Amino acid sequence: MPFGLTKRAFLRLAGLSIAPKVLPSWLTQQMLRAETVGKRSGSRVIIVTFGGGVRYSETFSPDGLRNIPRLTAMRPEGYFFKSCSNQGVLSHFNSTASILTGNWQRVDDFGFQPPSGPTLFEYYRKAVKAGAMDAWIIATNKSFANMGASGDRAWGSPYGANVALPKQLLIDAVKEVVRKRQGDGVANRENVLHQLEGILSEGYEGVGWTIFKGGHDLDQHVRDTLTHALIDYINGPDTPASGDELTFFIAREVMREFAPRLMLVNFWDMDVAHWGSYSLYLQAVTRTDRLTGMLWDEVQTNPHYKDNTTVLILPELGRDGDMNAANGFLNHRSGDASCRNMWMLAMGHGISPGETERPVHHIDVAATAAELLGVKADGLAGQPAREIL
Amino acid sequence: MSTPAPKLSPALDAMVEKGLFDRLPVTFSTFFFEQIQEWALLFPAEKNYYERLFGFLDRSDPAAVERLFTGVRAAERKLGVTDQNWPKRTFTLQQVDFLNRSPNYPEWRKAIADVFAQLDPILDAEVSRHGRSRLVVVLSPQELPVGPDRLWARIANHGKRVSVDPPPDDADYLPLLLTGKPSAARAQALTDILAAHSGSPPYAAWFVETGDRLVSLPSHLGVVRLSYQRLANYRARLMKEVQHVVDSGQIRGPRELGSRLKQLKIGVDESELVKDPVLAEFARATLLSGNGTLLINNTFVEWATIQAIRRARPVLTVISYGIRNKVKPFSSLLIYADQDTTTPIPTQGDMLGSYVDLEIFHQYIWQEFGKYPEYRGNTAFLFVAQGTDEMLAIGPPDFPLLNAAAPLRLENVFGTLKEWLAL
Repeated sequence: MPFGLTKRAFLRLAGLSIAPKVLPSWLTQQMLRAETVGKRSGSRVIIVTFGGGVRYSETFSPDGLRNIPRLTAMRPEGYFFKSCSNQGVLSHFNSTASILTGNWQRVDDFGFQPPSGPTLFEYYRKAVKAGAMDAWIIATNKSFANMGASGDRAWGSPYGANVALPKQLLIDAVKEVVRKRQGDGVANRENVLHQLEGILSEGYEGVGWTIFKGGHDLDQHVRDTLTHALIDYINGPDTPASGDELTFFIAREVMREFAPRLMLVNFWDMDVAHWGSYSLYLQAVTRTDRLTGMLWDEVQTNPHYKDNTTVLILPELGRDGDMNAANGFLNHRSGDASCRNMWMLAMGHGISPGETERPVHHIDVAATAAELLGVKADGLAGQPAREIL
Repeated sequence: MSTPAPKLSPALDAMVEKGLFDRLPVTFSTFFFEQIQEWALLFPAEKNYYERLFGFLDRSDPAAVERLFTGVRAAERKLGVTDQNWPKRTFTLQQVDFLNRSPNYPEWRKAIADVFAQLDPILDAEVSRHGRSRLVVVLSPQELPVGPDRLWARIANHGKRVSVDPPPDDADYLPLLLTGKPSAARAQALTDILAAHSGSPPYAAWFVETGDRLVSLPSHLGVVRLSYQRLANYRARLMKEVQHVVDSGQIRGPRELGSRLKQLKIGVDESELVKDPVLAEFARATLLSGNGTLLINNTFVEWATIQAIRRARPVLTVISYGIRNKVKPFSSLLIYADQDTTTPIPTQGDMLGSYVDLEIFHQYIWQEFGKYPEYRGNTAFLFVAQGTDEMLAIGPPDFPLLNAAAPLRLENVFGTLKEWLAL
């Protein structure tokens, strides 16, 4: 029974089902405190990025709608910003760091430097004295290991977000299964699952994650939560080949177990466009659309999030246009309109359906989220999007 | 005692010596200075371009040249370019990063584009005066799951769908089209005839393909034959090296990876391209600087063709795509691993995915040719799906296939193409 639950997995699942009942009291209090501070007590924000980059032409253009059926269906319920532009450096790390800091970032393109100013996570955690489990980044891109906090001494990692990089975990596990050449190798999902569990049990740092541990109980709880997500992923109905699928399962499990008030989910599969396969790129866009829709479903059904959460969905960057650029969808370096001009969809509590032509920018996201969370954040170049406040 | 090969052409060398490059804005001149350093590895068309570009600037009125670069100089001031961050005749990854991260980068790009908006018409006019008919043949794989009516949809409105009469034996389809004779005749292909033609420039005829449909045809030595399949050993070594470098954690990103791998040249037992240093370097650069060219056969063909157009400006280009493989569960995450050995799951072709991929590549290839003066107004395109009864012809009004009425025999199509190239 290669895809069934192992005894070990079953026991872990059973353990998880009672985990909330045995949460240490300090963690419960921490979560409660986070609920009650801030001008908009209880508000939560989830930022979902179409990381890797996607063009308007494959999403909200008339021809692109077929690739994003879930977002198309969600749009009438939300507020749609028709023009949300990235005027910064068109690399992945700088683009997402600009979204999170509210200032155009010009640091190392490949994540070897942290963002150059406080992130939204730092503003939030410092302002409301939120605990470490209240701010998360679940990202597919390995280079996002430093995304959770700036290098600013007055801020930095004491106020940063946990950063989980599921795809890196998966890659390491697959690499090990291939190396061992056991039985059916990666053709057997159980082999991959065992390897994933093994890596988790050895610690997160090896795969570039940053998880702020609050003692043994909490650490065990985090591990159990992540393991639960892995089991869901491996035993899911679809072939679990996508890093983004795992990103989704871990994000959902983190929401269910820790209910962070601020979270970034960065999907990434569509960066396969660099390989030069338009069909794989389109499949990834549609997968991200589906996973984003599933996250929205979770928000609407999870009691921690229902009726108090704003979800901001936007592409991290676009990709080169077909007509004038070096090689069209493969790259995102031309700086043309197709690279920079995107959209943002805001969904959630208190948002009146509508849309606007008014241009907003990536750096406005942090300012908007700070307002939604009731956090004062000075020094942001971006402006709050009043339409959804 | 042999004399070392000159680093540059005498004309360019003289311009460098008299300080032309130092008089131009440093962000402009250093880029080109870097480009011409490996002069011996450039195609004749590239050499010709650089000589014409800098020859024009050299003989122009210095005041006019200064006016031409006013915007670039202003952009450089805003960028904060100094001798410290941008030493003369130096263009490295540091300079690329410096530009990319500057908030004034878009302004600089615009200023550079403005310069070429003025230079290109002048340089292009020189090329156009020496124009000749050119031909591009693009072959789709037989296994695509759609008929010709659903092929080339993005560009079909620029040309005409031409009916053809397929031969009884499908194996004769390509030979008849490219040689005018059935396979058994082993006749010369158009590429051979062009390469052997007196006055034909070097690197005029190219085969670029995923497999070996074309390279197995008898071929003149002057025909460039680039096959993804025939580069398999070299690709395998490159992938292993890339994986090793990535795993060792010694690099800080793709750019450093690129420069690290620049020394990984084709081995003597890896490809016949090694005999020509220009082509050997072309293959290395295509595989290591092109997105996905190591990983996906059709990406290799598309990017190699784009690079051939930009750099070599072929007269006749025959491009043959294939079917790419399906992405395998799990093991596909190890992108530089050999997918045939990392998983017992059998390799399968992705027919529908390949169809979607090629549709956009047809557009990109067609557009790319149109960017260069050598091809404007004199290039005929023939998009072919092997085994089918329809082709797409795009070209100037005098391209005879645009006026074809009845279904054409392939040998007659061959004759028309041969005549178009004046061979």
